Amino acid sequence: MRLIGVFSIATLIALALQTTFTRLLPFDVLMPNLALVLAVNLGLRYYSAAAALMAFGIGYATDTFSGGQLGLNALLFILVFILTSGLSRSLLSSTAVIGVIAVFGAVIFIDLGNAVAAADWGRSESLGLAMPAILIQAAITALCAPAVFAVMAGAARSVGLRQRGLRE
Amino acid sequence: MRSSFLWRNRVILTTGTLLILALHLLSSGVRPDARASKPALVLIELLRPFQTFVAGITGGSSGFLHDYFALVGVRRENAELRRRLAEFDSQQARMQELESENHRLADLLELREVLATKAVAVNVIGSDANALSRTIIVGQGSHGGLRRDMAVIANEGVVGRLMVVAPDAARVLLIDDHNSALDAIDQRSRARGIVAGVIDDGLTMKYVDRSEDLRPGDRIVTSGMDGIFPRGLLVGEVGRVSQEGPGLFLNVEVLPAVDFHKLEQLMVLTQKPPELQLEGQN
Repeated sequence: MRLIGVFSIATLIALALQTTFTRLLPFDVLMPNLALVLAVNLGLRYYSAAAALMAFGIGYATDTFSGGQLGLNALLFILVFILTSGLSRSLLSSTAVIGVIAVFGAVIFIDLGNAVAAADWGRSESLGLAMPAILIQAAITALCAPAVFAVMAGAARSVGLRQRGLRE
Repeated sequence: MRSSFLWRNRVILTTGTLLILALHLLSSGVRPDARASKPALVLIELLRPFQTFVAGITGGSSGFLHDYFALVGVRRENAELRRRLAEFDSQQARMQELESENHRLADLLELREVLATKAVAVNVIGSDANALSRTIIVGQGSHGGLRRDMAVIANEGVVGRLMVVAPDAARVLLIDDHNSALDAIDQRSRARGIVAGVIDDGLTMKYVDRSEDLRPGDRIVTSGMDGIFPRGLLVGEVGRVSQEGPGLFLNVEVLPAVDFHKLEQLMVLTQKPPELQLEGQN
C-alpha cells in the first residue's frame, strides 16, 4: 500500500508537470517523460505484484492525458516494467547508470510503440522523421532520471518502503 | 499459503493479467469517454485545478518571464532601478497581454456571430503528456454544455474536436494528431480528401485522386461531410504536392492555418450550424 501511495502521488505530480509545463517550452520533445521514469524505477527496484499494478496504473493515467487510444500506454508501461524487471534481475543490480540507460531505451520503446500503433503506412517516412524527436526526448528524460530516482528513493525511505539492493 | 503456486508466482500472474487487461482495453477500442474509462475523468478533474492555476500564471505571460530572467545578474548599484524597470515592464507586458486577450476574445465573439451558432469560449489549460500525441486540455466541460465530438475552432481556423469531456475540463484531439481525420475540400479545385495528422508534426491530405489539380497555396476548408465540423471552415493551405511512388493518390502536404503551439482562447461549437458560407473569405 505504501508503494501504491507514494507512486500514485508521484504520478499525479509527474503528469501535472508534463501537461502544464510542456506548453511553456519551445518544443514538446524538450519535456521529459517523468511518468515513464517512475515506471522504470518500479521495474528496476521493486519486483512485486503491487509494483506491476502501479506500472499499469501509471500507463493508464498517461493514457488519460495522452493520445486517443485508451490502453496503449497501459500496455507499453507494463511491458517496460517486465523488461526492466528482467534487466534488473539478470544483472543482479540496478545502479544509476543502468537506470539511465534503461530510461533512454524505455522512452524510445514507448514513443516507437505509440508511433507504430498510429502508423500511417501510406507515409512510411513518418517514423524516420519522428526519430530525431524521439531520440532528443529519450536523452532529456535519461538526463532527468537520476534526479527522479533520488527523489523516489528519498520518498521510499521516508515511508519505510524497502527497495531492492542498490549500488548508487 | 505462502508456498502455494499462486503465491509463489503472484508477480508473473499479476503482470500477465494486467497485460491481458491492457490488450483488451486496446483491442476493444474503448474510447476515452466510455464507461470503462470513468477513472480517466476523475484523473482529469483531479489535475484541473493545478493546470488552471499554472495556465493562469503562465498563460501569455512569457514576456514577463523573459523580462524577469533578463534581469538576473544585474549589478548591485542598478538593482533598485532595474527592479522598478522590471515592475514597469511586467505591468506593461501584463497590459499588452490583457489587450491581446481582449482582441482575441473580441475576434472569437465576431466569429461566433459569423457562424450564427451557439458556441462556448474556452481557455487552454494543459497539453498532451506525450510529445508525439497532439491533444490539449481546456478548462470547460460538461457543466459548460460541452459534449464529445463537438468542433473546436480558433480565429484562424479548425483546431480539433472534443475527445473526452469531464465535468469541468475536456480533452481536445487536435487535427494534427496522428489519430485525427477530417473531411476537407480544396477551395479552388473542389478536390476532396481526408486531412489527417502525421507523426512528424504536420498535416497531410489523403485519398486525393491523382487526376485532381491541387496547387501549392490552395486553401483547404472543411467539407461538412464528417458530421463534426461545419462546412467552410479554414483548415490550412496546400504546401507541397507530389506524385511520388505508385498508387492512386497524390501526396499532399497541408500547412495548418492554426499554430497549434500558441493556442490560448478557443471556441467550441455547441450547436451544429445549418451551413456556413465562409469559403469566399480572404
